[in-house]
Amino acid sequence: MNLNFSDEQNLLRDSVSRFCTSDYDFETRMKSVNSDSGFSKEHWKLFADLGWLAVPFDEELGGLGGDVLDLSILFEEFGKSIVVEPYLANVVLAGGVLKRSGFDKKDEYLSSIVSGEKQFSLANYEPEKGYNLENIETVLDDKGLLNGTKSTVLNAPNADYFIVFSKKGDDFCFSLVSKDAEGLNLKSYKTYDGFVSGELTFENCKPEAIIQEKDALNNLEEVMKDAIVCISAEAVGAMEKCYRLTIEYTQQREQFGSPLSKFQALQHRMVDMFMETEYTKSFLLKVLATEDKDEKTKLIYGLKNQISKSGKLVGEEAVQLHGGMGVTEEMSIGHYLKRLMVIANIFGSADFYLQKYINS
Amino acid sequence: MDLNFSKEDLDFQSEVREFLDKEYPKHIKEKMDNGDDLTRDEIVEWHKVVAKKGWMGHSWPVEHGGTGWDATKKYIYLRELAMEGCPMFIPFGLQMVAPVIWTFGSQKQKDYFLPRILNFDDWWCQGYSEPGSGSDLASLKCKAEKDGDEYVINGQKTWTTLGQHADWIFVLVRTDDSGKKQEGITFILVDMKTPGVSVKPIITIDGDHEVNEVWFDNVRVPAENVVGEPGQGWTYAKFLLFHERTSIAGAPQLRRGLRGLVKRAEKIFHNDSPLSEDPFFKSKVAQIELDLSALEMTELRGLAAEREGKGPGAESSLLKIKGTELQQRLTSLALEAAGHEALPFGGPYGFKDQEVSSSKAAQLTAAKYLNFRKVTIYGGTNEIQKNIIAKAVLGL
Repeated sequence: MNLNFSDEQNLLRDSVSRFCTSDYDFETRMKSVNSDSGFSKEHWKLFADLGWLAVPFDEELGGLGGDVLDLSILFEEFGKSIVVEPYLANVVLAGGVLKRSGFDKKDEYLSSIVSGEKQFSLANYEPEKGYNLENIETVLDDKGLLNGTKSTVLNAPNADYFIVFSKKGDDFCFSLVSKDAEGLNLKSYKTYDGFVSGELTFENCKPEAIIQEKDALNNLEEVMKDAIVCISAEAVGAMEKCYRLTIEYTQQREQFGSPLSKFQALQHRMVDMFMETEYTKSFLLKVLATEDKDEKTKLIYGLKNQISKSGKLVGEEAVQLHGGMGVTEEMSIGHYLKRLMVIANIFGSADFYLQKYINS
Repeated sequence: MDLNFSKEDLDFQSEVREFLDKEYPKHIKEKMDNGDDLTRDEIVEWHKVVAKKGWMGHSWPVEHGGTGWDATKKYIYLRELAMEGCPMFIPFGLQMVAPVIWTFGSQKQKDYFLPRILNFDDWWCQGYSEPGSGSDLASLKCKAEKDGDEYVINGQKTWTTLGQHADWIFVLVRTDDSGKKQEGITFILVDMKTPGVSVKPIITIDGDHEVNEVWFDNVRVPAENVVGEPGQGWTYAKFLLFHERTSIAGAPQLRRGLRGLVKRAEKIFHNDSPLSEDPFFKSKVAQIELDLSALEMTELRGLAAEREGKGPGAESSLLKIKGTELQQRLTSLALEAAGHEALPFGGPYGFKDQEVSSSKAAQLTAAKYLNFRKVTIYGGTNEIQKNIIAKAVLGL
């Protein structure tokens, strides 16, 4: 048994951590959030230059050939600063599908992710269809035209390309649609955590290419499992920051002639936040260290359940202990809660995954 | 003991329903049902409708123009309004400053302010908290110095709800800092139009502008606007807070909110069957329902005690804690039910109208969840309420 990270992994963590602590303060983040694209192009270029956008891809592509463990290191550090740049959408979701597909031109597109030149989004969920991945109606018909609606398309307003999950005959498939394709309509919006997202409608829209026709659902399932691990790691980082910020705040805020941190009732609340964070981190590591595929899948469902509960608890407590200041837009702590609540509820709720855990 | 309504009570219930049916303005109802924000004028319009009916003083004594209803009637009335989804009454005049004025105020103050409050001629707001004085309210520093027949106020208040709409503010000011911090606090009424009063918005995490900072820069206020004795403001402030806390339990609103969520859940699919049939969801709904029954009964007990002349005491802290916890459980469950359909969010980040497929009800759950983080903080945090119960009820 070895619970240590490798030297390369520690280097990656240090590098991301350095960026987040020295170049990504709350003000910088909010500048990105309040911009039209919702992220900073300079940061994105830096991510590319530092090789972060290549982490999970093959070495021929300039990648590190990393796996979800490497990604989780990066996400945990991102979570501490609630980094809003669209890493999940590009690298984990869209890149994850491309990487696992048999698409003959995939290297070309993956290279453009790695270099940061092009932006991608994965479009799989549909309005009011819930979280079961196969519960979709969008169809790629015999004439090779797409029809349907896709919702919760993370990073959609920035995407140059959409990877679209649809039905095709009796099976599922992935196709690649350019943002300029005819018959594609995009409605953009910001999400309550300050990220950008969108809804797509396809009306006889011709994809640029078909990426995968066989085992597409299986590909998507694998990608979503990676995504759950990544946002869970992000949540762990955010939770850690939440209790640290809360300790800091209660140490300097004085009421009744003493710092709030001296009140035992509040100390116990912070201890609970700390324990919940550590406990969740253990769960995450358990998932990462598990090798048996079925066992790992089951644990990932459990992880999403755990993260949804613990992220909510820690985020809400952090806001509560900040008092009135905690609910203001100008203070960072409320933004941690928002991101934790989005993480708790995207890709499926705590209950949805508890049910999957029980059934698997 | 009898939980059934008498014939008289049932008649009264019909009367309230008939009133709402006829007088609740349709354009306001539509907005409320839709979850849209009301304008200042619309909020005033609603209060005036109620005032015209003579039902504003539902918890006021008859001698000041109140209805003189017993606990059951008051309960029925507030429940019917809430179940119909009517706008909440702005409590700062009606439920907060009015009892202070009729209990401690001068005859002149009673004669001038009480009828105007009852008719909603003035919109009141609250000047209590300061940046450095939240839970420890008595440490407040906003200063008022006597100058002839006037007080001159300098300092800052914060978390003033809807201060941007207000005509009057009741303010706790420090008139003496020589003794204990609870001494030397004065309760004073200030016209918001007085030169030197300024209001600055605070944007909250739901993107809303609901609370404000209120600044006082050499604001000159007639000394006759002091309520009761100068220096005795802390006593009045605490008296008012007990009233504030009873009115924020919100059991009927919870009942309506829960009913709405259960109905929406029939059409929400997280997996292959509607959420309303999901055992986990049903269990959460049932638990909220059970707690709500206990909350309602606790509220009724409080009303009955009030009727017997036992004014709201430290027990109102219990209602505040339990009521607000339940409000947060409900808004949180609504957000969870909406799931990723709740993502589109105008809020502070632009994109005001999200003309996407997800329903407006779903989109609103995020803002509501975030807005309701405040309820366990305002009116004295729930932690402070527990201190009050420990000290005043349990004698610890």
